[in-house]
Amino acid sequence: MKIKTEQFGEVEFKPENVINFPSGLLGFEKEKKFLLIKTDDDLFYWLNSTENPELCFPLVGTRVIDESFPLEKDFEAFGIVILNQDPLKITVNLKAPVYINQDERKGFQKVLENEKYLVNYKLFIE
Amino acid sequence: MLILTRKTNEEIIINSEIRVKVLSISDNQIKLGITAPHEVEILRGEIYDKVKESAIDASKQSSQDIKNLPKLKINKLGNSL
Repeated sequence: MKIKTEQFGEVEFKPENVINFPSGLLGFEKEKKFLLIKTDDDLFYWLNSTENPELCFPLVGTRVIDESFPLEKDFEAFGIVILNQDPLKITVNLKAPVYINQDERKGFQKVLENEKYLVNYKLFIE
Repeated sequence: MLILTRKTNEEIIINSEIRVKVLSISDNQIKLGITAPHEVEILRGEIYDKVKESAIDASKQSSQDIKNLPKLKINKLGNSL
């Protein structure tokens, strides 16, 4: 199967590579099918909707920020990133992480109660 | 918007399965108890709005923004506190 994405042009994928989000993402509840795309930089992932291919969310693994970030069994945790040309303005949403099980191709988003996890956490420092 | 008046310990029921009970009332706070099926997600309104707004912003940015990302240190949680 093929989709034409905004960020990566045409992307070919197998149906079994699609990650299912039964509840969608917060604010995007109708978006239930995504591809997790890894590019050659070693930090960012991209969660690209397959039904709405121009919709794409940059992600970063929460591990690189916080080794004790709350995990869910068999799921990896990611934060949705707001990119910026000024890297010091790039922020990560640690308050509502996206959990993905790549083997079982399932994902969900959850809001953490802990107040130390911010919606707009700065990814980089000088 | 539907507006209902309730007293302490009174409830409203939504869709026959979600019960919202007024537990206590003080000057500018009320405490609610909510009983709902497991799959029903319950969030504070302002947090939902903030997360949604942040996701919309995230979806509008381009990978071009990080084409020539300089080597910067990751802001490890703990450093910033």
